[in-house]
Amino acid sequence: MKKFLMATVAAVAMVSAFPALSAERGGTMTFARYDDSTLIDPIYADRNPDIWMVTNLYDTLLRTGEGGSISGGLASDYSVAADGLSISLTLRDGISFSDGTAIEAKDVVFSLERAANADLGPWAGLLASIDSVSSDGNSITITLRNADPTIVSMLATFNTAIVSADAFAAAAGDTDQEKSSALSVDGFVGSGPFTMKSHQRGTLMQFEANDHYWRQGEDGKALPYIDGINFLVIPDDATRILKLQAGEVDGAEFIPFARVAEMEADASINMELFPSTRIIYSPINTRSERADGSANPLADLKLRQAINYATNKEALVQLVLHGAGKPVTSGLMASTTQLATDNGPLYQYDLEKAKALIAEAGVPAGTEITLTTLAGSADDGIILAALQQMWSEIGIKLKVEQVDGPTRGAKNRSGEFDIHTYGWVNDVNDPAQVAGWLGYYPTRKAVGTGWNNPEFNTLFEASNTEMDPAKRADQYARMQEIYAEAAPLLFMYETPFAVALSQSVKGYVQTPLGNNEFATTWIDR
Amino acid sequence: MSTLSYLLSRLLQIIPTFLIVMVIIFLLVRALPGDPAIAMADAKATEEQLEQIRQRLGLDQPMWMQFGYFVKNVFTGNLGDSILLKAPVTQVIIERLPASGFLTLYAVLFSVIIAGPLAFVAALNRNNWIDVSVRSIFQIGLSTPVFYIGLLLLTFLAAKLRWFPVGGYGATFGEHMYHLLLPALTVALYTSAIIMRNLRSSVIEVIDAEYVQFARAKGLPEHVILGRHVLRNAMISTVTLLGLSIGNLMSGTLVTETIFAVPGVGRLMLDAIFARDYPLIQGLTLTFAVLVSIIFLLTDMIQAWLDPRLRVS
Amino acid sequence: MISKLRRLLPHSSQLLVLLRPGFLVGVAILFSSIILALFPSTFAPFDPNAFNYVDLKQPPSAEHWFGTDNLGRDTFSRVIWAYSVNIQMAFIATIFALTIGVTVGSLVGYYGGIADAIFGRCVDAIITFPFLVLVIAVVAVLGPGLTNMYIAITLVGWVYYARLMRAEIMGQLGNDYAAAGKVMGYSDARIIFRHLLPNAITPVIVYWMTDMALAILLGSSLGYLGLGAQPPQAEWGVLIAEGRNFITTAWWLSLMPGIAIVVTGLGFSLVGDGVADLMRPRG
Repeated sequence: MKKFLMATVAAVAMVSAFPALSAERGGTMTFARYDDSTLIDPIYADRNPDIWMVTNLYDTLLRTGEGGSISGGLASDYSVAADGLSISLTLRDGISFSDGTAIEAKDVVFSLERAANADLGPWAGLLASIDSVSSDGNSITITLRNADPTIVSMLATFNTAIVSADAFAAAAGDTDQEKSSALSVDGFVGSGPFTMKSHQRGTLMQFEANDHYWRQGEDGKALPYIDGINFLVIPDDATRILKLQAGEVDGAEFIPFARVAEMEADASINMELFPSTRIIYSPINTRSERADGSANPLADLKLRQAINYATNKEALVQLVLHGAGKPVTSGLMASTTQLATDNGPLYQYDLEKAKALIAEAGVPAGTEITLTTLAGSADDGIILAALQQMWSEIGIKLKVEQVDGPTRGAKNRSGEFDIHTYGWVNDVNDPAQVAGWLGYYPTRKAVGTGWNNPEFNTLFEASNTEMDPAKRADQYARMQEIYAEAAPLLFMYETPFAVALSQSVKGYVQTPLGNNEFATTWIDR
Repeated sequence: MSTLSYLLSRLLQIIPTFLIVMVIIFLLVRALPGDPAIAMADAKATEEQLEQIRQRLGLDQPMWMQFGYFVKNVFTGNLGDSILLKAPVTQVIIERLPASGFLTLYAVLFSVIIAGPLAFVAALNRNNWIDVSVRSIFQIGLSTPVFYIGLLLLTFLAAKLRWFPVGGYGATFGEHMYHLLLPALTVALYTSAIIMRNLRSSVIEVIDAEYVQFARAKGLPEHVILGRHVLRNAMISTVTLLGLSIGNLMSGTLVTETIFAVPGVGRLMLDAIFARDYPLIQGLTLTFAVLVSIIFLLTDMIQAWLDPRLRVS
Repeated sequence: MISKLRRLLPHSSQLLVLLRPGFLVGVAILFSSIILALFPSTFAPFDPNAFNYVDLKQPPSAEHWFGTDNLGRDTFSRVIWAYSVNIQMAFIATIFALTIGVTVGSLVGYYGGIADAIFGRCVDAIITFPFLVLVIAVVAVLGPGLTNMYIAITLVGWVYYARLMRAEIMGQLGNDYAAAGKVMGYSDARIIFRHLLPNAITPVIVYWMTDMALAILLGSSLGYLGLGAQPPQAEWGVLIAEGRNFITTAWWLSLMPGIAIVVTGLGFSLVGDGVADLMRPRG
């Protein structure tokens, strides 16, 4: 099953990257986004609209290809030492930044050191194993404190993208972040396929093709194929779609699932559903007492399993996603993530089993549980209505409290909830991030549930230094088994990224991590 | 009381009002539930990162100290940095204010153009079918939710018929006029109904008034009467009403800006509240307060100039 | 008591004003709205929250007069059930603001002095904020939902009633009843509530009518923004928001609640206009 999914991802990527027609050059694309970027810097990007744009402006040393394979980026090759305590990379010859200056080893050292600097950006923790970075000519050596199976993936992730050391040295500002802000538009220097041409906050962001980009298209000339991209910010979904239908933009992201069928039926629109690592789930408070001191019935494993069995995930996928998505098969990550196990959808709808479990748990009929949802979210409204009805069949009375985003986040951190709706998209190409977030107690108390399983914790820590891929896969398989069994979440579904494009746009991809890739995009004119 | 002393006394009144406004803003913003650090930092942030944000915002200090800094900063023109947009608040507001200002003025223009003539028509045809039809149409405008009308206009006139662009703001002055026409019309819907009703009332009152009847008896032609007396008094009440409605106009732009994707301060305010961006919320509310105060003052001045009776306090 | 009522009521010939078509239509609309709000289950053929996986997004038909939505729920029933929420909104969001405003306004108008000065500054401070922005901010503080929305609107809206009342009371201060009352040694409270209030209250009542229409619009805007009534509860603003992705493909979803808002608002406005016409001083 997993191989099939990997193949699908590969097929999509390949079909998108190597279109049937040959790529035409030229033209400017207009793309409608739901939110604006604020600071697109590899180490400071902490919001999706920023993170997902980084690789358009800055390239990484390595690249992730189909099926999770690693290939060369700015570095032509790499090798990991036998003891796993160092990595050496060879920087390509003759590559330049967007201002024409050469990309040199010193830029790599500068970029990696600032990325690993815990005082600067929020992602330094991902590179905690890095001890030092040194260079010799075109060769860069990264010395690690401990063996780190994720480090190669990290070198293909946005936060290690390469910036210009010279530009930063010459930039105005006292702190690294101030310098980064100063360089964000005027004086922009990047290593990616595009450069930042202009940015009017909240309205328009313009990218221009980087004439010095190293990667080549299928016609042997430098990428990108298009001359530039205009990003319009249109927060309202309905308006965004109207703009696409009116032909004022060439692409619109985050199409509500309720409209996917309508878009698919429109001959002038290409409705893409890109596989993603996005999962929707509901953390359950597993602590024995609620925040207010009352006894928490959800501390009982059997009740948690019962509500999982009583939830018809297929029905939810139909109601909320209109069929665009599927129930999760691994409780710990989306099926598109490396090392995801797939033994069929978790906790398939089984009302009898649910009733039996609840009887065993001795939970009396009429027990109240409160679901905390996001105010104003129509999706959450549907989930609530469906769960209310489904759980009433096992005697659970589901109440609701609607709160806004910040309040929900605060409740998650303080544990003042029974169960709440939540979502996640991977930022890195390795399962360690999501597994740590969802299941490892020290990171975030297992996404706020309070679930603390020693076997899981030990396995997780071991997997972070396990260099043998087969052994690591086994560790992850066991972790997912434990997690599914313990059901600290209401497992729900994973959904694709819904992007609607005009038929003339080819070669656009939104990767499973959410990155909007425009490097191989071209316009059929 | 002379105009100057009136002006001075009004200005003096603004100071305590402004202080109360600042206290309200300060308390309101801090009463928002949910740690702003959590709101700003995205779910994946660690405790240390949150602490950093709290320190940057000065949230770890006692309330009275925070208020002190707040007042001092306001009077030195420093409104802090927006956490959401990672830029100085003053800069952000200056960037976004023109769009809302343009939209508001445009809407006021439409309101006056639509309401003015029709109010006269209705008043002069008092109680016959012309009057009733005009009033009914405006009644409907008064009762329709702004977001629905905006949506309809956007869908049919912009997306379907392509007579107008689908939202946005444009780059040049001409483009602004084109892009903002539909949203301005949407906002004007409500205000024009209020103005029409009020104007019609004032015109009727003046027409019936004794001094106008006296002027008629003296043989003054009707258009002179209309021009000199009716128009002047009608203007007084309209100006007052417009001034008072400005606050509501700004509220109307909030929803309209969201639907039509206009990059103004209304939408910015919504985003700021949802993201718990304290500095931005404070800066925006202060800006609104200052602008509205100035407009009220101007309205009072114009009123006093137009109607000498009002100068007596 | 009778004499007081007689003072309140206009001259009998002026009552003919009430027979004008505008006013009668308004009364009819209000009356039916209130009936629908009180007895939704009598008039709604279906359960407003029942999903129906078969009849999704059906246009209006004999079975579903207003069609169905993307979850198969009957739009007609949802619009009917929303009457309870929206009419309730009209009353609750305004009545407390009215009570508080009238009380404060009367006291401040009667006593004047420093209380009046402070009141003036507070009013200015609150009015300086755009109404919707302040309501949204208060709702953000208290949390989304209907009850908090009522609290927010009351907290911001009482000022307008108070200002109106103060102006009216001050205007009445010179009248005969008050002077006579003072001479006769009546208590302040008695003078305010028995002599001044009855005459001053009529413009407030007129304003209240319009305010109720505004409350529905405001509540619907908040519902649209996700801050008022929460989905899946049927409220006209929420219904329009739910339908906004289907304006062309399922136009009935937003149009029907939109019409309901317009008609109901019209009802309140027409009644308010009628009462205003009645009370307008003649001659």
